Amino acid sequence: MSIKPWRLAAAALLVPTVSAAATLDPKKPEDALKIMQKSICSLNEGEQVIYWWKGAMFSRVEGEKDRELFKLQGMNIRQCKNLKDPKRGPGFRSVSREIMLHLDPTTEQVVDTWKNPWTDEQLEVFHVANDPVNMRNPMHAYSSDGKPIEADFTVINGRAFKGGNAPLFYKNPLQGEYQDWVGGTYHAMEMGNDFFYADDLFDGSDPSVDHHSISWSRISGWLPWMKMGDRNGVIYTATVGGRVKSIDDLPEPLRSTLRQRYPHYAAPPPLTDQRPNETSWEVFKKRMEARAKEGAK
Amino acid sequence: MRKMLFAGAALACLTGPAAAQLDPAKPDDALKMNTKVICSIKAGEHNVWYWEGTVYSRIRGEKDRHLFDVAAMSVRQCQPFNDPIRGFGTRSVNREIMLYLDPKTKQVLRSWKNPWSGEKVEVMHVHNDPVNSREPTFARDAEGKPTAKFSHVTKDGYVYQGGGAALLFYDNPLAGEYQDYVGNKYQASEFLTATVPLEELTDPKSSRSKNTVISWGRISRWMPWMKMGARDGLLVHYTGGTRLNSFEDLPAWMKKEIRANYPTYVAPPPANDKRPNETSWTVFKRKVDEQRAKDGKK
Repeated sequence: MSIKPWRLAAAALLVPTVSAAATLDPKKPEDALKIMQKSICSLNEGEQVIYWWKGAMFSRVEGEKDRELFKLQGMNIRQCKNLKDPKRGPGFRSVSREIMLHLDPTTEQVVDTWKNPWTDEQLEVFHVANDPVNMRNPMHAYSSDGKPIEADFTVINGRAFKGGNAPLFYKNPLQGEYQDWVGGTYHAMEMGNDFFYADDLFDGSDPSVDHHSISWSRISGWLPWMKMGDRNGVIYTATVGGRVKSIDDLPEPLRSTLRQRYPHYAAPPPLTDQRPNETSWEVFKKRMEARAKEGAK
Repeated sequence: MRKMLFAGAALACLTGPAAAQLDPAKPDDALKMNTKVICSIKAGEHNVWYWEGTVYSRIRGEKDRHLFDVAAMSVRQCQPFNDPIRGFGTRSVNREIMLYLDPKTKQVLRSWKNPWSGEKVEVMHVHNDPVNSREPTFARDAEGKPTAKFSHVTKDGYVYQGGGAALLFYDNPLAGEYQDYVGNKYQASEFLTATVPLEELTDPKSSRSKNTVISWGRISRWMPWMKMGARDGLLVHYTGGTRLNSFEDLPAWMKKEIRANYPTYVAPPPANDKRPNETSWTVFKRKVDEQRAKDGKK
């Protein structure tokens, strides 16, 4: 008994109320926008969408076997605001908060201190708690230069999926003013996949998808709190996950830790949130600056 | 629509069969369920996969470059065993192709201009035959102690597997006899995930899943055919894909390419295949060695 036959059976029962026009056409910009919005959040403004993922973080140092440093558990909670622009047509913007916890690779419990195996120094672990992680710019049926939006999912054997890469290379907030000359640039790449059922994603009569699974990876330099300085090497993550219906469905220890340490991550930021995004590098800098001030008092 | 789905499930319970569902807590069932994710518990059934994605370079100090797109397929079969002590067993035999595509035109690349060396090199697509499991896996060890476990993170009726990686660090078949001293080991990490409806695995009537989707990534050194020598940097593959019903479900252009250039890859190796496994490094070595023998030089 797979999900799909039941979806088809349900569709058959609904025939009297659903017309053929309810199937979204990825080639039509207005439909492509709806497909993109369903793949990111929901067509219902303000509907909370929660993602979770699990996996691990590894080191790559040339000449030694890669090491598993941490297990990971993450979550993102978001909502979308629906927009309308006279030139660009319908649109939306998502606002979200995100947590990723570092777990002991053996016990899978949250670790708050870590002994760096290369320097032997005992260090504080900075878990990811980024608020907000918002879309900088809204997505519309047409871009500002009039180009129609694309929803280029690969559709094969009833599935619709899409991969994406974001190669990042920009000024590192923790580095100095001469990065083009002496290096230190923030250098990372994020990679992900989104998997759907084609009939679910392209169903224009349902504002949200029944099923959405993901994979996510990231390769970057050492995290600032690892205190690796200029040492050679990179870290990378490998994770898998999907949507869940509520915070209660998150796995442990993520669920309890969210409730205890990060209670406001049980809801997304307000729809109109205009704060700048946070990254782990900026959060680290802010926290170190705050501590320096404390110390100076 | 979601309410209707539940109604459908309720109807299924009324009319459903009495046969027992597979139980992940039982070692034989656990191994059967694992086998159904990627392969099949029925002898001779062909399991075809399609996946696609990107290849980027990572060199310290420069933005990662989008070198290639990739499109890949594999075709696999799993021989089931039944041992009086070890219980259910399975061994997979498999062939695999990954084609390197121009990231702009999406055409299969025949040659590639290396942007760092400026040299034009021939592209060697991945065509590994076989990629087999060496020995069968059984539900129990030789003493009859259960060893098979089913990784059981389930959310809303879906099983999520993966989030780990195979950390590979072994002698590079293309490098010399003193790698422990002077380096040049094969160093790579491969990470696979699979998401599949639990019901498809526990269903006693089905021999395999229908709706498994996968992601696959690899962080490695340069591919040998890129002729990068000892240049600093990494290659990052990242892909997503799905199980297909048959070879015929592959994209038309890919079927054409395989039938023209890799005709044996329409079917898996024979179930009793004993050949040693191939990797892109061993395939490349054979190719270079053959060329050198032809040219009469070493």
